Amino acid sequence: MPYLCLFLRLIVRPMLREKTRSLLVLFAVSLGVAVALAIELAGDAAASSFHTSLQTVAGEYNLEVRAAGGVPQSLVGDLARLPWAIRVTPRIEDHATVAATGETIPLIGIDFIAHANDPDGARFSLPQNTSIFNDINSPDALWVTRSLCDHVGGTVTLLINDRQHAYTVRGFLPSSAQVSGDVAVMDIDAAQQATGKRGSVDRILLKVPDRPGFAQWQQRIRTLLPPGVQLLPQGSETAANRRMLAAFRWNLRILSYIALLVGAFLIYNTISVSVVRRRAEIGTVRALGAGRRAVLLAFLAEAAVFGVLGSLLALPLGRFLAGGAVRLLSATVNALYVSSRPGPLALSTGSMALAFVVGIGVAVASALAPALEAARVPPTEAMARGRREYDVRVERRRDAVLAVLLALAAAFTSRLPALGGKPVFGYIAALLLVAASALAIPALITILMPVLSAALRRLLGVEALLASRSLAGSLRRTSVLVGTLSTAIAMMTSVAIMVGSFRQTVVTWMECQLPADFYLRPAGEPGADRYPTIQPGLADRIAKLPGVAAVSRFRAYPLEYQGLPATLASAELDSPQARQGTEFLSGQPSSVVLRALATGNNTIVSEPFANKHHVHTGDALTLPLGSRAVPFHVIGIFYDYGDEGGIVLLARSTMLRYLPDPAASSLAVYLTPGADLETVRARIREAAAGTDVLLFSNGEIRREGIRTFDQTFAITYALEAVAILVAVLGVAGALISIVIDRRREFGLLRFLGASTSQIRGLILVEAGLIGILANFVGLLLGYLLSLILIYVINQQSFGWTIQFHWPVAVLIAALSGVYAATVLAGLYPASVAQHLNPIEVIHEE
Amino acid sequence: MRSSPGYIWIRCAAIVLLLLAVTGHAADYDRALPGYHYQFPRDNFDHPRYQTEWWYYTGNIASSNGHRFGFELTFFRQGISRRPNPSPWYVHDLYLAHFALSDLTGGRYQHAERINRAGPGIAGADAAQHAVWNGNWRADIEPNSQQLQAMTNDCRMDLRLTPVKPIVIQGRNGISRKAAGVGHASHYLSFSRLLTSGSIRVQGVRYTVSGTSWMDHEFFTGSMAPDEEGWDWVGLQLDNGTELMLYRMRHKDGSVDPFSSGSYIDAGGRSTFLASADFSMRPDGDFWTSPHTRGRYPLRWHIAVPRFGLDCTVTTSLDNQELSSRFGPSYWEGAVTVQGRQSRALLRGVGYLEMTGYAPGAANIEFP
Repeated sequence: MPYLCLFLRLIVRPMLREKTRSLLVLFAVSLGVAVALAIELAGDAAASSFHTSLQTVAGEYNLEVRAAGGVPQSLVGDLARLPWAIRVTPRIEDHATVAATGETIPLIGIDFIAHANDPDGARFSLPQNTSIFNDINSPDALWVTRSLCDHVGGTVTLLINDRQHAYTVRGFLPSSAQVSGDVAVMDIDAAQQATGKRGSVDRILLKVPDRPGFAQWQQRIRTLLPPGVQLLPQGSETAANRRMLAAFRWNLRILSYIALLVGAFLIYNTISVSVVRRRAEIGTVRALGAGRRAVLLAFLAEAAVFGVLGSLLALPLGRFLAGGAVRLLSATVNALYVSSRPGPLALSTGSMALAFVVGIGVAVASALAPALEAARVPPTEAMARGRREYDVRVERRRDAVLAVLLALAAAFTSRLPALGGKPVFGYIAALLLVAASALAIPALITILMPVLSAALRRLLGVEALLASRSLAGSLRRTSVLVGTLSTAIAMMTSVAIMVGSFRQTVVTWMECQLPADFYLRPAGEPGADRYPTIQPGLADRIAKLPGVAAVSRFRAYPLEYQGLPATLASAELDSPQARQGTEFLSGQPSSVVLRALATGNNTIVSEPFANKHHVHTGDALTLPLGSRAVPFHVIGIFYDYGDEGGIVLLARSTMLRYLPDPAASSLAVYLTPGADLETVRARIREAAAGTDVLLFSNGEIRREGIRTFDQTFAITYALEAVAILVAVLGVAGALISIVIDRRREFGLLRFLGASTSQIRGLILVEAGLIGILANFVGLLLGYLLSLILIYVINQQSFGWTIQFHWPVAVLIAALSGVYAATVLAGLYPASVAQHLNPIEVIHEE
Repeated sequence: MRSSPGYIWIRCAAIVLLLLAVTGHAADYDRALPGYHYQFPRDNFDHPRYQTEWWYYTGNIASSNGHRFGFELTFFRQGISRRPNPSPWYVHDLYLAHFALSDLTGGRYQHAERINRAGPGIAGADAAQHAVWNGNWRADIEPNSQQLQAMTNDCRMDLRLTPVKPIVIQGRNGISRKAAGVGHASHYLSFSRLLTSGSIRVQGVRYTVSGTSWMDHEFFTGSMAPDEEGWDWVGLQLDNGTELMLYRMRHKDGSVDPFSSGSYIDAGGRSTFLASADFSMRPDGDFWTSPHTRGRYPLRWHIAVPRFGLDCTVTTSLDNQELSSRFGPSYWEGAVTVQGRQSRALLRGVGYLEMTGYAPGAANIEFP
């Protein structure tokens, strides 16, 4: 009871008295928690969906057979005839674009006849007195989710590869299939025909008995499979995607905590200020018998109140933000990883618990230091009437030394390798740097302030002098404020530099990597795990057109290498033009390496592939091709920014030896010198009539590339914006508390003749000074953090070489925006200060 | 003639045709007509010019310590489309298969069925491979022996069958007639006595078994007449080294079709055709009603072939040997024992009894 009383008097009352400030802090905390929650929810929703759509109408299986370029279909019969009680289910798994809506949906082909044997298999819902067997040999029969078409006999036009075809709806997927989003199912014969996958299937699912054990079954079956065919636990593709997605989600999660970190600074600031301001009161309650523990608990409870209320507010806010985040996120996931449609957003008990743990945890942790300080206030403080404006001693020297040590530790930590594929040490280094900068700020302010105040005095007069003196005088408070804002600015700067560098690198890379005049690919939204093809005849037709010098066919297949998804690709390197443009890490000229690639079993791999799988030039690489396992010689590692899983590239002639499918994924068209771009474009369009392909000129494909890039990083930009918003809110809150704190000072100034506009100027200059300092520190820290992001975290997570590049325009715009926001944040406190009644204030004295 | 399975299959086919409106038209196929020239071993395998075909194995086997079993393993082929199409996934035929084990000593009956397309080697009946198979259920048919293999999650059967007598071409002029009129017939081949040995595993227990099996192979296009409802069939292996096969086609009004027939195979392997006037085969009580299909089956039959002085009673030691099917009509197919006299000498034997058209099958069929 006395604790409660103490809490009410010492904490709740001041909180209620300073409503605006309390609300600002509360909002900032809840925004921080909400962002973390939103990213978590959106990540769950985005990650759950590709699982369910791939698993559509697959019963319960425990193994799967896959091969790069497809599993030879004869294996289906071989496995079905094995003298063991195994269930064998072949599947075609592809994607189709619904012509009416442009939506890309999973297209699944199953053996409808064998499916009838599966006691757990989903039963389709069909009109009365009909069966799936009715249309067993019909190439146009389609079974869909009701959301795609709600009546039997309806027509759904699908774009599959480079062709549109009208299909007739014969029935619906069972509701028990638990499909998220639209799905289309065909009989395996129709699906093979539609996707051009004659002779192979994408996956064979197996259900083996419990005995003699899963490992024995795997071993037993593996020995019967051709060497290039992989036998994996069922769902391992999903698992492989999940693993790759995990790194992305992990980094995103960390980014989402930036806002929370800024919020933590804010709570630290708020509680510190309360402790400073209420030293006398604390002294009094201590003198009246309250123990140190009681005081400590009271201040921790204050933080906890912010934590609890903030987390409560964060639940609806996070759910709301997740709605936006999930759209951005699924765009990224689709572009970089795997076709997916976000699943439902669910505010689970787990995510709510996370919100509270994070909210309360961060609040209490950041309040710990000031609360401990409060607990150390001696009872005598109550009597020390003369020390109303107690200023906490700041041990500048000790902190500066600590800062240097932390910075050194950061430098060391950043050199450590990834931990379980995650750049844990990179983030630790970043955190150490943030801490170092926070500790270095007092020293920096002491050094910078005299310079600044001298300059400002000349520029802005006496208000500036007062402002700078006041800031330097209450070093502790100023440091915390500058620390809060500069952290947010640093985060923004570092990510802006990283993304800007990345963007510039990609632009430069595209300049050389895309040397052709035209590119063609099948229509439909591109996705990292979709491999639509262009019919073989088109390339030949285009090659014969006047004005066309050469056509290079590029073909890509999905590949699983060492449990991670990658792309197996081939390019046609016959023409000299096609041998230009690829940049190698070794610096070797493109034409030399690519000429060697066309001979023998040689391959080149992309940088992310080399990094993920520790492959070096000169290494041997065994690739599963069709049903064979073929040894290849790595003759180069090339820069690539288009495929995070990495690419293994063969010459087209080499690939065709093992996977004889002549269809191409995309075409690069080189014109003869002097040919007119538009004339040739028209000719290509004519040659491509009847197929659904997109034709891009060189400029268009680059713009398309950059558009995809920006789409991919949209979520990052959004997170940045929130962190900055939190920081600006924090500055506003802090400035308000400064005003409240310095009522007496402002009253005195007014009493001594300062005009209201001078008081206003004083506060705005203070806000501006904080802004300048924060920008300075933030930019410096941001630069250092960006180095960690680019050279440590990005390298370890994604394996890309990014050339450092200052995104000057973006930074100037962002920093001046923040600066303006900081000054604007000073407007409200300034007006509060203006309206202080000097007489009243002096009377309080 | 194994009209029974045949008929089953016909009915099944009828349902498939009617209910599923599968595209196979009888007109696209040949009918079973007199004068067919048989060639072996080729005619042991598939006849895609005929719409319906089956290979039907049944047998009575026992372990050395006297544990008795009956088994049924049947492979069906039903023509769906004769349109040329190079894709192995294109459905020219549907392949069904039934596998049943009757644990006569343990009083337990279990069965399984499957349906497949030929696909890339999933199911088929191929002379080049000397095999008829549906997934991993298969019969390897060599001139001097046949190998059977079938399994489910909880039982497994591996048998080696050796024919004691040459193959029997049932009926007359190479066709076995089922009703009046051209084409209401099948090409019907039997191995009436196959010495059997091998192993079965039921619920984790392995039995080394031996005994006697019967194999029927029929192919035809739509043989049953419209007014026929079902049939009763027996294949009996008597302990004097002779075999008897009889079938009676039942009309919807309960009468028996005059084209019902049978054959008597003497110890030397010579077969004698039995017209309906040559034998009597009638239910003799012991009715059993299936809890699954409500079908009411007579489980005791009286059989007489006066020409050969044969008079006997057929009974079963296990009532529930009904194969209730998800993909076709249900029927009773079970191991039976024979007791009676032939020309005053005591006679014993074993065999299989099949009764179709008793269960209101179609209503229970679960189509995918």
